[in-house]
Amino acid sequence: MNTDQRSRGTDNATEPGKSDPASRPMGIRQALREIRKGIVVMWWGFFDWVAVVSWKALLLVSFLGLILAGIFKLPTLAFVLIIAAFIIKVVAGGKRRAERTANEATKRAETEQLERTVVEARMEALQAQIEPHFLFNTLASIDQLIQTDPPRASKMQQSLIRYLRSAMPQMRGGSRPTLGQQVNLCSAFLEIMAVRMEERLQPVVNVPEGLKSAVFPSMMLQTLVENAIKHGLEPRAEGGRLEIGAEIVDGQLAVHVLDTGVGFMPKGEGGVGLANVRERLKALYSDRAELIISVPPAGGTSATIKVPYEIAPTTPPA
Amino acid sequence: MHPLPAPTAVIADDERLMRVQIIDRLKEAWPELSILGEASNGREAIAMVRSLEPDIVFLDISMPEMDGIQAAQALAGQVHVVFVTAHDQYAISAFEHGAVDYLLKPADPERVALTCQRLRARLKQEPDTMTDLLAQLSQRLGAGGLKPREYMRWVQASVGANIRMIPTSDILFFRAEDKYTRVQTQRFEALIRKPIKELIDELDPDEFWQIHRSTVVRVDAVEQVSRDFRGRQIVHVKGSEEKLEVSRTFNHLFKQM
Repeated sequence: MNTDQRSRGTDNATEPGKSDPASRPMGIRQALREIRKGIVVMWWGFFDWVAVVSWKALLLVSFLGLILAGIFKLPTLAFVLIIAAFIIKVVAGGKRRAERTANEATKRAETEQLERTVVEARMEALQAQIEPHFLFNTLASIDQLIQTDPPRASKMQQSLIRYLRSAMPQMRGGSRPTLGQQVNLCSAFLEIMAVRMEERLQPVVNVPEGLKSAVFPSMMLQTLVENAIKHGLEPRAEGGRLEIGAEIVDGQLAVHVLDTGVGFMPKGEGGVGLANVRERLKALYSDRAELIISVPPAGGTSATIKVPYEIAPTTPPA
Repeated sequence: MHPLPAPTAVIADDERLMRVQIIDRLKEAWPELSILGEASNGREAIAMVRSLEPDIVFLDISMPEMDGIQAAQALAGQVHVVFVTAHDQYAISAFEHGAVDYLLKPADPERVALTCQRLRARLKQEPDTMTDLLAQLSQRLGAGGLKPREYMRWVQASVGANIRMIPTSDILFFRAEDKYTRVQTQRFEALIRKPIKELIDELDPDEFWQIHRSTVVRVDAVEQVSRDFRGRQIVHVKGSEEKLEVSRTFNHLFKQM
């Protein structure tokens, strides 16, 4: 019973220890704490209101405050309050704006980070699967050349090693990929395909040395080259030419893959790789990059990727 | 009982090295087999089999012009078929239940010997028509057979002096203009000759809606639909200032939910 009352006393500051004198000082302290809490709450309420309210409303209220101050003859207090309000308005307004900007920036950064992660994960999954069909066919060709033409077998195997080696660092990620790395990967790939397809594939790599240090996303050129062979040249009995080129156009790095194959099929199934390139370009550069597919007057297909021209920071060789 | 004539074969593969490899292995495993010809694509293979009438054809599955499955369909019942492939796991699982044999590249001499042994036994019978197997294969490999209807995914249009392939996902709307149809994207506009009437049949109805006799809009590009002072619905598209009128016939598309 007794303990019950005491506990009620401490809980409720409005009736401090009615029956138990020992609890009184505690009740007063409690009441003071409550009052202080109330003032703090009111102060922050006032602060928030000042921060949010428009300047026009604040001026109006200040004016009313001055009239009331005139009536109650408290001009000094009114002046102090009004000046304090204006200072708070300036300071808190800035703080609120800063908070909002910070929130937006965080949200944007999070979205971008998320997109990047998703894209990178998907990219890694893609890179992990080096076309088994390509690998087995190449190994079968090497196997045949070992018997008929050992020096060529060795050359082809070296191309394969070079291809696999240059595909590997891209899986590990790390430093930003350069156009040079992408071109090397594709050259090795084209050398292999040229041995297999013989006169049906005439590869031309025409990338100026000076552009090889430019930043260029990984596995995109590879997709274009593979598409050109798979959907352009392989289906054509007589094969044709495949050209990789790069130039700077209006401050953008434009890398193209041109083939003289059967031409682009508007309803074909080859859209997955291209859709993927498109999606990744969008995630990495938003509207500052694009993939353009066009039909050259002589037939075949031309695919161009445009990205902002940027020199890669010099990195130690892999 | 008169002795059987020497067995004959045709080899079809688009890569010469692979043809050479098969021929070399066959010579070791089956010296009596005479190779009548080499084809480098499916069409050639069919022509060669029909003119030379070999007992056996070795068909690579992925070849230009016409692939190995299609060639086998055309030749069903006329010749014994052995498929050759580098890596088609679906195909391999299908062969395991089939009447035909298959070889994996690079051709392993012992495996080739086994194939030859099976072929020797099978030559006494009529060639299998492989109906079930081929249907199964063509379905799995996506060659021929029944396919769901395919809609246009790219639009071929002239932009200035060039012909460009524009993915439909980049297109905001199509609009009829005199003899041409204008293709509008966020970055540029292009002209095509195909009239709206024909276009609408080739576009995916889930992706594009016709809202007027002369206008087709990509549904995802629609930002909002408002009404003008005469009560007509006006479509606003993301990334373009142009306002597109909805004719009464298509009013139902934008009914309030």
